[in-house]
Amino acid sequence: MYSSRRIKDRLFIAFIASVSILSLVPLFHIMIAIAVNGVQVIAKAGLRFFTDTPPAPLSRDVGGIAPALFGSFYITLVSLPITVVLALLASILSTEFPSNIISRAVDVLSRSLASVPTIVVSMVVYTTVVVPMRGFSALAGVIALSLISLPYAYTAFSTALRSVPQIYREAAYSIGMDRWRTVRRVLLPVSRRIIVTGILMVFARAMGETAALLFTVGRYRMGINIDIRAPTDAIPLLIFDFITTPFKLYQEIAWGAALVLLAAYLAIFVSVKVAVKEVRL
Amino acid sequence: MMYAVEIENLNLYIDGRHILKNISMNVSYNTIHVIMGPSGSGKTTLLRTINRLIDLVPNARITGRIAVLGRDVLSSDPYILRRDIGMVFQIPNPFPHMTIYENVAISARLNGIARSRRELDEVVRWALEKAMLWEEVRDRLNKYPHELSGGQKQRLCLARALAMKPKLLLLDEPTANIDPINARRLEDAIVSLKDEVTIIMVTHSPHQAARVADSVTLIYDGYIIEQGPAQVVFLHPSNEYTAKFLRGEI
Repeated sequence: MYSSRRIKDRLFIAFIASVSILSLVPLFHIMIAIAVNGVQVIAKAGLRFFTDTPPAPLSRDVGGIAPALFGSFYITLVSLPITVVLALLASILSTEFPSNIISRAVDVLSRSLASVPTIVVSMVVYTTVVVPMRGFSALAGVIALSLISLPYAYTAFSTALRSVPQIYREAAYSIGMDRWRTVRRVLLPVSRRIIVTGILMVFARAMGETAALLFTVGRYRMGINIDIRAPTDAIPLLIFDFITTPFKLYQEIAWGAALVLLAAYLAIFVSVKVAVKEVRL
Repeated sequence: MMYAVEIENLNLYIDGRHILKNISMNVSYNTIHVIMGPSGSGKTTLLRTINRLIDLVPNARITGRIAVLGRDVLSSDPYILRRDIGMVFQIPNPFPHMTIYENVAISARLNGIARSRRELDEVVRWALEKAMLWEEVRDRLNKYPHELSGGQKQRLCLARALAMKPKLLLLDEPTANIDPINARRLEDAIVSLKDEVTIIMVTHSPHQAARVADSVTLIYDGYIIEQGPAQVVFLHPSNEYTAKFLRGEI
């Protein structure tokens, strides 16, 4: 009896372990493929890969991805605070006043926005921002990214706030805290790790977003534009454009750009995991 | 004001269900009043009505009158009202992201009890001593509550409630989830407090009620079955139900 239970237990653990490994295979395959192909091109180009503009298609020089690298960080870092502030306010509203009609409307709108295809958002921003401004711009990209990230951030933050056990809310009220103080001094700090992880996910998603930028940022690859009203580029757009060309050099650059994107994501992910301490309940 | 707490014809409905039924009771200053009764009888709900934590329950409707220290509870701003009413809950709930020191200091600072760091240090020490926890944590005030035992956490919650210098202290089965030794320490701390604060404590244990109570109210199914001075109720219960409850038969 005892041994059969033990065998079953071990078989089950072996099954779980193998399924876990199997689910990680595609992830590692992607990471290894990007690393192997990307390292070669970055090694060939050297530091200029991060500081130069892309070359002509038949050039012997690898050049670099500086406009896309700058553009990606620029539009993501400008859109991130907008997304975080709006999503945080919306999630506080929906968790603190769940039966309020505005709060319900915000909840429904945020969730339905998540199901709108990103290319549709890009088209909407094209007609409402790009056309009136008479040109592509980083600003249009920022607006598109903010709109796309908003529902993800809202879901992450409201889940984080709802995950705080009710006993801490009651404790806060019992010592005379009002709603706002309770949110600021108890709910947000207790759920900070989930919130920061949510911000990270939103950041990563925005960095990797392609369709939303198709009709908004303008793919400007001749140099770096700091002006938010001027067109810019983004790494995912560059990868999408270059990998679909017949030029071998451009395909190589696309692999290098993919490695840069992956490395940036991993660096942020690891540093946040290390820096943000979990609150032990 | 003859009484610290006066409740008259209190009725509470949640989603249309009648939970508290025509409750009337008075609690004298600087006494320990114990509300006892079996699980689900409405003890905790009554306690939460006194400091308006019942507001957190959707669709709760209250009729009747509650006065705490002469102030009408139902027409008061609940956030201001709660500054005079400390509470310790059934499950220990120190703030997990704050240190032991900060857990106590926050309620003193919030309620204007201490402003300077020195005043704050004094209040924190006073509250921890009153909760009989100071000796156990004096060397680790900057540690987090997850390092404490369940009983120590509950005494930390008592210290947090005391640091706001409340005039009324509500205790909702504070020893229900801790070991007997810690429960006894907490009881000792509670009894030693009644010179400074009026206490209403909920328990389902008649033995605990007998050890600490000056006066008691027995609730069953939302009704008050019996109330009066502890000695009278324990020695000469006026109805059969009370006698059965005290014998542990219900």
